[in-house]
Amino acid sequence: MFKIGKSTSQMARLTSHSRIDQKRKISFTFDGKSYSGYAGDTLASALLANGVHLVGRSFKYHRPRGILSAGSEEPNALIRLGKGAYAEPNLRATQIEIFDGLYAESQNRLPSLSFDIGAINSVLARFFPAGFYYKTFMWPAAMWMKYEHVIRHAAGLGKAADDHNDPDRYEKTHAHCDVLVAGGGAAGLAAALQAGRSGARVIIADEQNEFGGWLLGEADIHIDDKPALDWIAKIRDELATMPNVTMLPRTTVFGYMDSNYLTLNERVTDHLPERPAHLPRQRLWKVRAKQTVLAQGAHERPLVFAGNDLPGVMLAGAVRTYINRYATLPGQRAIVMTNNDDAYRTALALDNAGARVTIADLRAKPSGALFRAATDAGIEILTGHAVITAHGNHRIARGFKWPPKDDRPPPLLVISSEKLDLLGPCRAGCHPLFTCTHRRAVNYNGMIKSSVSSHQPHMRQA
Amino acid sequence: MMLIDCPFCGPRDETEFSCGGEAHIARPLAENKISDAEFADYLFMRDNPKGLFLERWRHSAGCRRWFNMARDTVSHRIVEIYPMGGLPKTAAAKSAYSASWRRHTMAEQAAKPARTTHKNASKARGAK
Repeated sequence: MFKIGKSTSQMARLTSHSRIDQKRKISFTFDGKSYSGYAGDTLASALLANGVHLVGRSFKYHRPRGILSAGSEEPNALIRLGKGAYAEPNLRATQIEIFDGLYAESQNRLPSLSFDIGAINSVLARFFPAGFYYKTFMWPAAMWMKYEHVIRHAAGLGKAADDHNDPDRYEKTHAHCDVLVAGGGAAGLAAALQAGRSGARVIIADEQNEFGGWLLGEADIHIDDKPALDWIAKIRDELATMPNVTMLPRTTVFGYMDSNYLTLNERVTDHLPERPAHLPRQRLWKVRAKQTVLAQGAHERPLVFAGNDLPGVMLAGAVRTYINRYATLPGQRAIVMTNNDDAYRTALALDNAGARVTIADLRAKPSGALFRAATDAGIEILTGHAVITAHGNHRIARGFKWPPKDDRPPPLLVISSEKLDLLGPCRAGCHPLFTCTHRRAVNYNGMIKSSVSSHQPHMRQA
Repeated sequence: MMLIDCPFCGPRDETEFSCGGEAHIARPLAENKISDAEFADYLFMRDNPKGLFLERWRHSAGCRRWFNMARDTVSHRIVEIYPMGGLPKTAAAKSAYSASWRRHTMAEQAAKPARTTHKNASKARGAK
């Protein structure tokens, strides 16, 4: 059972094979406390390994917030990185690669994360509905400048750098290619390989520090009878030998404009402790491609319930990524709520790592290989059940479950006698990633739609 | 950003060009007297279609020459690029040209020299 604020060194770390290098220890500071992680960790994975789940406060009501995901879709774990003129606010902890001496602070809290005066907004929430400021701060008119001073400090999440002169240098570069592959996961790597072998000039860009995409977080995927990680390594090595292929890791394709004009942001030195003077901090690529392959993948779509913003609520795929890629167990006691089979793989991964898991499946009669595997593993599966509310202060304490039928009064099923560390709802389906398409017609393909259960969890108070 | 195929320089970025507005606006000749309201069609009125649009472009950061372009204003797809002073050749652009409201204005008719009639034939020949 993890306690908030008290963490011994990396007690949630697993010794299994992963993408981090457990021989290279890295020390960093978060909110004034020193922690250690390993080379290859993100700030989020290192904090989770140290049992730190509370990493921020919400914008208005200052609700406690934790780490929801393992990638760029992270909405909660926004961190201020660095000091002085190099400080940068609102960076996602899931995207920050840790290095020795990294200095990070949480945001939007006074005086501290665990005791935040701003949480009074949450207590008085009924007086602060949406748009309350349209009818307030009007009288007396002479006091407006005083009101404005307070409001200005209350607004916003992160604080900008103390020195407004940015000492970093940024570059722009133009490039032309035959094929630009946006995304370096399974599809992107395969596309770049085919295009590169044909002799075309290829640029392949992925926002993460290494290529592989979602495959990096999975332990049980095989491609061509090989483990997926071997498949990735083989393709990556072959692409690296091709002179006509440019591989750009840590590069986000963020704009896709007329006539295959794409803009890419390459983070050149953000992950380095010492930034070489001859390199820019970031580089803007302006690429004109003859053809573009969009292989950005998809984000998970979470199932919704009351209290789903508490620390300890995570996307199921993210939990798998933390276990498999970062050797971190985000919780010892977990409920996995789902409406499809994929989250069963998360439950099996948690079970393998030593956590105690319960699956709440919205479907009345799930079946299939994964269901059988979970049953064989002895995981408790509650069919026709959903999580309705999550309760807790700085961390999930208990979750209430309710069968979603509305014809007869359901039996009360409360798991409050056990403390829960982790709630893993998600997998209402996947949301194909189209955030970078710009002036392009995007057609929703009805075939990719997720298998959404026809039962929706009712929001009921216990 | 569009890629525009300049007829003289080849494909270049849109930023090298300046747009010259609607194409094929003919100025009424002075000798063909038309009313002020009809003249306003030439002077002020401009088309703004959702769909195929015929416009003029100048390669201001390159060869600095003018050319005409038929472009879809919704998708920014360039249908045809044709020389200044000429008319489009592709079917879609040709029908956009002939269907335009401007072809039926008095200003457009007045842009052509007045027809030589039997009465003023000698005058047209230059005789006194």
